[in-house]
Amino acid sequence: MGDMKLSFKVNGKGVEISPPPGSVLADVLREDLGLTGTKVGCREGECGACTVLLDGVPVNSCLLPARKVAGREVTTIEGLEKQDGTLDRLQQSFMDAGASQCGFCTPGMILTAKALLDKNPNPDEGEIRHALSGVLCRCTGYRKVMQAVLELGRRGESGS
Amino acid sequence: MAKEMDKKREVQVISRNQVDLCRLLKAEAKPLAVAGHSINRLDDMLKVTGKLKYAGDYDHQGFLHGKILRSPHPHALIRSINTDKARQLEGVVAVLTAADVPGRNLFGAAMPDQPVICGDKVRFIGDGVALVAAETEKIANQALRLIEVEYEALPAVFDPREAIREDAPKIHANGNLLSLNKVRKGDVEAGFAQADVIMERTYQVPMQDHAYIEPDVIMAIPQPNGGMLVEGPMQAPFLTRKNLAPVLGIPMNKVRVRQIHMGGGFGGKEDSPIDLGCRAAVLAQHTGRPVKMSLEREELMIQTSKRHPMIMEIKIGAKKDGTLVAFKGILWDEQGAYASLGPKVPPAGGCHVHAMMMMPGPYEIPNCYVDAYLCYTNHPYGGAMRGFGAPQVHVAHEQLMDELAAELGMDPVDIRRKNGFKLGSATATGQVLDQSVGLMDTLEACAEAFDWGGRVKQAGYIDKHKTKRRGVGVGMGWYRTSIGTGFDACGANVHVNEDGSVLLYSGITEMGQGAFTVLPQICAEELGVKLEDVRLVQPDTDLVPESGPTVGSRSTTLMGNAIIMAARQVKESLLEMASELLLVPTSRIEFVDGKVYDRDNPERKLSFREVTSKCWFTGKRMIGQGWWAPPMASMNPETGQGSPYFVYSYSTHMVQVVVDVETGEVELEDYVAVFDVGKAINPKAVEGQIEGGVAMGIGYALMEAVALSGGMIRNLSLQDYLIPTMLDVPDMKPIILPGYNELGPYGAKGVGEMCNIPAAPAILNAIANACGGRVRSLPADPEAVFLAIREAGGPPDA
Repeated sequence: MGDMKLSFKVNGKGVEISPPPGSVLADVLREDLGLTGTKVGCREGECGACTVLLDGVPVNSCLLPARKVAGREVTTIEGLEKQDGTLDRLQQSFMDAGASQCGFCTPGMILTAKALLDKNPNPDEGEIRHALSGVLCRCTGYRKVMQAVLELGRRGESGS
Repeated sequence: MAKEMDKKREVQVISRNQVDLCRLLKAEAKPLAVAGHSINRLDDMLKVTGKLKYAGDYDHQGFLHGKILRSPHPHALIRSINTDKARQLEGVVAVLTAADVPGRNLFGAAMPDQPVICGDKVRFIGDGVALVAAETEKIANQALRLIEVEYEALPAVFDPREAIREDAPKIHANGNLLSLNKVRKGDVEAGFAQADVIMERTYQVPMQDHAYIEPDVIMAIPQPNGGMLVEGPMQAPFLTRKNLAPVLGIPMNKVRVRQIHMGGGFGGKEDSPIDLGCRAAVLAQHTGRPVKMSLEREELMIQTSKRHPMIMEIKIGAKKDGTLVAFKGILWDEQGAYASLGPKVPPAGGCHVHAMMMMPGPYEIPNCYVDAYLCYTNHPYGGAMRGFGAPQVHVAHEQLMDELAAELGMDPVDIRRKNGFKLGSATATGQVLDQSVGLMDTLEACAEAFDWGGRVKQAGYIDKHKTKRRGVGVGMGWYRTSIGTGFDACGANVHVNEDGSVLLYSGITEMGQGAFTVLPQICAEELGVKLEDVRLVQPDTDLVPESGPTVGSRSTTLMGNAIIMAARQVKESLLEMASELLLVPTSRIEFVDGKVYDRDNPERKLSFREVTSKCWFTGKRMIGQGWWAPPMASMNPETGQGSPYFVYSYSTHMVQVVVDVETGEVELEDYVAVFDVGKAINPKAVEGQIEGGVAMGIGYALMEAVALSGGMIRNLSLQDYLIPTMLDVPDMKPIILPGYNELGPYGAKGVGEMCNIPAAPAILNAIANACGGRVRSLPADPEAVFLAIREAGGPPDA
């Protein structure tokens, strides 16, 4: 068990671990690296709670074999907060909009929204709906999530 | 015994003057500093940074992993169990069967009727016949496969109407009729004799899953004193403790239950932590080691409670002008295999009684008659789910109101205007609504915000090929605040520290609804301190007073009152101290925003900290305790007459849809939902409840149903059990009207459940308005809508 070395970057830092064969990325992050901000809701790639960014692209970490991330860059929710404690603007926007209720889908939702905004700084409602439709939320009804993301787009457009 | 107690109470109208505490709670006329404001949630920072630890995020080093061997049959006798091979597997520490349960081998939220481990019989596919504890989850799962069980399959029953026939297979020793409850108001036959129009309809709703995103996890940790610590996401720590003690055979004071932040509950995490907690604790007690028990998505779909499916047969009579004169209903309420929260808990608790008393809707009808049957079947059991019996019956009466309006040639809003509850109206149980009745205000405000009058005339095709037809619908609703039993009582402790910081002890849990922000807001308001100076202690049965469960839309109102009482008690000594220090009478002293000053001379002031520090030094009381229970509920067991709940919230929803008349697909275009929830303590959080509740109602209307076949579930994953995504929920406008509940903190009432109740019927009414097809059996998926259009003789003016 665990004899295969796996090197990749997590939140900007290089790691080298030996996960059990067949491990999925979510378990490696949570169990080997203690990054429990990544949540597991279904283990079948349906709920999106486990979403992390792989080279900037949202992936379901509960399905992704860990070996596939060798040499690549993974961003988890823990990676959004700067070392000095400054939050990512999405994190602040989620709080101000009230876009998080139970919070279990929030890390996956924020990371998915981040990937969208990185690609498309001022998305319209349709683009936001389409991009975030892979993350299930049972609490919010999505309206305040929409507001949190739209607001950043608008701010981006006005250059502030 | 319970019946006799019930009889004594008879019908009573709650008189505000008889309730001493009301005076205490009456809000003063000064503006609120902390309560009533849209404040960001106090636990948000932990949630958006991923730092909040849910139960599955705890370090489980040294824990054993518990797993449950479940029945492959919906109904069977257990002939034999052989666990030898499983025990011999390396890494397996214990394999337990029924004989190993140390105390009472039964648990249940309302009445214990479900075995912790089944010994002789299984009653549904979620029943456990053996428990395994092993060093890893993988080994525990392997061990399950090595247990040999010999079953003798029994005939099973899956329909409540069939379940109570004499020749039906008996699921429990006392038969399958768990409860028959009745409403008898006026003379229903005389009422129908006066009617100009009588309509009869049957509506049916399926089983719905809570689909909370966080799967259940429970930890049971044996304590050195022979006791047990159980931790996990849960809505009812005290109810969990109440079940753990007899199952383990130890007193309640040796069972400690700690609540961990929930990743969603919606009623589901009232039952499941009792179920998992008892099982994990039995394993932990047996092995002497901590045990973690978690459910995968598929397991929780099989094992945990669901929303009760119901069949509702209704006959209604009205005059030509729309005045309702008589209502007769038969409610077939399917309980499933175990009682959970279904049956009546005297005087007026339990899902079944709640559904029954709400069945005629928020309408004043002089003659009402309901027979409500609650029946065991071999399906997964019905428990609490957001709305607790109300969404089901609203699907019926709100559609019926539209069908009746169409028959009479009336506008759906007008028929509601005519019959809806107003101040002084009497409900089906004869309760006179004597305060805080905002139903008509919500109807009028919704009609205006939605432009009902304008839009209702515009129903019709939106394309020249006549494939898509637009329509609008309305749904109105009501919901209680409280649970209608003695365990509505809420305790709160407020500890003021010498440095001016405050600890708030409450047993109300956080599941995403915002209680951990709203309750400190009330505490800070009452003490006159800054919100950040109040820290809420995580619910722990060893530390916090009994608060009842976090259900029934009761937390803000009932616990809020208890907190106000606790804060006022400790404030008495703070006032005395401040009076001594400022040399002014207590009546002139104000506590606001962490400052204490003479109202007549605001320059004479102290900081809150100076007062608390001096209090501590002089030995003055620094702890306040509040205990609040609403006026006692009443319900006559024969007639259903009484005042089951002390106050209700009200709401009206309007929605615009487009139906593809060729495929049956429904698109929601616009949504307005208006609420009377009394005073909103945190309007942003209330809006969040509304938006999420509406989304859950959209799921109930259009897509959600546990697909049952021969007692098995066919949609065990979120791939097959669909809930709304961001693509399914339209933009919506939540409106909170200024309301006031004389018995609530600063005027508050409940909102958590009110919000999803009118959503499904509003959508169904809009679908019927758009395409002419009426879906009377949910969900209104494309197939059901397509068939309804065909049944109606094809789309209108095609």
